[in-house]
Amino acid sequence: MLKGAEIFLKCLRAEGVELVFGYPGGAIMPLYDALEGSGIRHILTRHEQGAVFAAEGHARATGQVGVAIATSGPGATNLVTGIADAKMDSVPLVCITGQVRSALIGTDAFQETDVFGLTLSLTKWSRLVKSIEEIPSAIAEGFHWAREGRPGPVVIDIPTDFLKAKAEFSGAAKFTPKPRPSDAKAEAKFADELIALLSKAQRPVALIGAGAKLSGAIDELRRLLDDLNIPAFATVHGLGAVDPDAPYYLGMVGMHGTRAANMALHETDLLLVFGARLDDRVTGDPTRFAPNARIVHFEIDPAQLDRVRQCELPIIGDLAQTIPAFHKRVGAAKLPNWAEWRAIACGEDRAELDPRGLAQSTIRFLDELFGRLPGNSVVIADVGQHQMWAAQRYRSASPRGFITSGGLGSMGFALPAAVGVQLSKPDATVLCVSGDGGFQMNIQELATVRRLNLPIKMVIVDNKYLGMVRQWQQLFYQRNYAETDLSDNPDFVEIAKAYRISAERLNEDAMEEFPVSQETGDKLERFLRSTEPELLVFDCAPEANVYPMVPAGAALSEMLFEEE
Amino acid sequence: MHAFHIEYHNTQGTLMRILTAVSRRGLEVPYVHSAASGRVHRADLLLEVNAKQIGQLCRDWHAIVDVTDVRVSTPTPEMLELIAFAGPHPPSSAASDGRSSAAMA
Repeated sequence: MLKGAEIFLKCLRAEGVELVFGYPGGAIMPLYDALEGSGIRHILTRHEQGAVFAAEGHARATGQVGVAIATSGPGATNLVTGIADAKMDSVPLVCITGQVRSALIGTDAFQETDVFGLTLSLTKWSRLVKSIEEIPSAIAEGFHWAREGRPGPVVIDIPTDFLKAKAEFSGAAKFTPKPRPSDAKAEAKFADELIALLSKAQRPVALIGAGAKLSGAIDELRRLLDDLNIPAFATVHGLGAVDPDAPYYLGMVGMHGTRAANMALHETDLLLVFGARLDDRVTGDPTRFAPNARIVHFEIDPAQLDRVRQCELPIIGDLAQTIPAFHKRVGAAKLPNWAEWRAIACGEDRAELDPRGLAQSTIRFLDELFGRLPGNSVVIADVGQHQMWAAQRYRSASPRGFITSGGLGSMGFALPAAVGVQLSKPDATVLCVSGDGGFQMNIQELATVRRLNLPIKMVIVDNKYLGMVRQWQQLFYQRNYAETDLSDNPDFVEIAKAYRISAERLNEDAMEEFPVSQETGDKLERFLRSTEPELLVFDCAPEANVYPMVPAGAALSEMLFEEE
Repeated sequence: MHAFHIEYHNTQGTLMRILTAVSRRGLEVPYVHSAASGRVHRADLLLEVNAKQIGQLCRDWHAIVDVTDVRVSTPTPEMLELIAFAGPHPPSSAASDGRSSAAMA
C-alpha cells in the first residue's frame, strides 16, 4: 500500500519528470512530505507565479513538459497567469494544485477555489481527481494532452485527503486516446494544389511561426526554404527557425518587425504560413493584411485557421510530416524564377537603418552584449520595449535560443523563466533581459537564483518608465504619461546586493564610443563570463522608442520610423 | 440563427468548454440542450452568428479534447418555437415589475 502522494510522484517519474517548480501550502503538504527520495528535484520559488514561469522556461528550453506545483486557493490562483501564458504560446505544462478535502469541496472552505472551473478556458485539459485510484490515469492522460498536437497547459487538481490516503499501486497508467476524425488532406492533393499556386505566384513569401519549431521540423524547413529561395521572415516565436544569415531571410515581421519583412508581407501574392496563428501583432489591420495574397497555412491546430483571414489552402497536420511531403514535390516541379522579386524584397533599398535617436545607445548596448555571447546561449526577454529591441537585434541560429512571453505578453516572465532555462541547460550562457517594470514583478526570484547559485546574467534596461506604454502615450495619447513614471525606482544594484548577488550599473554614455572603450568591453566580458549570478543595470534614455512601429489598426506597410 | 450539434464524450468539463467557446465571444445562448446520444453525448445550441464566427466556433470545438463531431444546420421549428416562447433574458433590473424600484424608493 502506498500513500496517494507517493503514487502521484511515482506516476510523475514514469512520465519522465525529474524537475518540478513549486511552493508548498496546506492542501498540497502531503505531496511535499513524500518528495524526499522520490527521484524528483523540487525547486522552491518565492511565488507561485515564479514557479509556473520557471516551469515554462524549462519546457520552452527543452521541449519537455514543465511541471508547477501549488497549494489550493491563492496558490492555485497565482498560477493562472502562467497557465494562460502557456496556452497562448503552446507550451507543454502540467500544473498540480492541492485542493481542500473532498468532503469540503463546494463549502467555501478555507483556501478553497474552483481552480478547475476558473482555468477551463485556459487549459487544454484538466481534471479534478475524485479518488485515489484515479491518480495514475489522471497523470497519464494529463501528460498526454500537454504534449500531444499543439502543446498546451493542463491542470490536475487533487484533494488533500486523496494524497494522504493509501491504496494498492500496480504501476503507472498508460493513456491511449480515442480515435478522432482526421482533417488532414491527402498528401498528394495538397502538394498538387500548392505547386499549382506557387507556379502562378510572382511574389511568394514564407512566414515562420512557433509551430515550425515545436514540430521539430527545423532541418526540413531550412532545406525547403533553401530550395524555394523566396523571401522569408519570422514571428517573434519563430525567431531562430531560419538561419539568420540566409540571404533570403528578412528578420522579424509585425508591429516591430523589420522594414523589409513588413513590406514583403504587404506586397506578396502568395503567403506560405508555417505554424503561425497570425495574431494582430503580426497582421496589423486584418482587412489590409497581405491584401493581394492567397494564403497557404501549414498548421497542426485547425482552431488557428482563418482567425483573421480565410486561407485558400489549409494544410492541417504535423509540420514534421507536411513539410517533407511538400518538399518532396518541389524538386520535381517547374517553378518560376523569382530572382527579380527577391532582389526587390531583400535588396539594399529595404535594409535596416542604422540605430539612431534616443534608442541608439540601448541598441548598441544590446549589440555589444549579443555579439559577445557564445553559440550555446539562450536569451530570455521580458515584455516591453527591451523585448522588442532584443527580438530585433539578437540573431539566434538556434530554435530555442530566444525565449519570451509573446502571445500573452506577461510582464515578470523573464527572471523566473531564466531560472527554469538555466537549470535545464547548466552549461549554456543564459542572458535574462528585463525592463525596470517587469523585473519588479517577480524580483523575489533573486532569492531562488541566489539559493541555487545559478549563473544567470540579468540585465535591466532601466528607462524609469513603463516604456512601451509610455511610447504609446507619447505617440497616440498626446504625451499624457499617465501612471507610467517609475522615476522613483529602487536602487536595483543595492537590491541585488541584499540578495548577495553581484551587481553593477552601466550608464548609456558608455555606448557613445563606437566601438566601446576597452574598459566597457572588459566590463561586459566579465559580466558574461562570470560563473556567478550577475546583474547589470543599463541606464536607458527615458524617452527612447522602438522602431519601426506599425501603429495599432494600420497596415504593415504604414510603419513609423525614428526621426533623424 | 444557426443550430450547432456537438457530439462529445461526457468527461469532466467538456460541456463547459463547449459553452465557454461561445461565451468568450460575447454571444448569447438562446437555446441549449444536452443529453446522452448513443455512446456519446450531444449538445444542441442555437446561436446568432456570422459566417466567420461559425468557422471559428467549429474549429474551437473540434480542438476540445473530448469533442468527436461538430455539425451545423438550420434550426428546427421546435427549437425556434422554444426560443419564441421563452423570449430573451433581460437583465434582472429591466425585468422588474416595479416592486423592486418601489422598495428602493
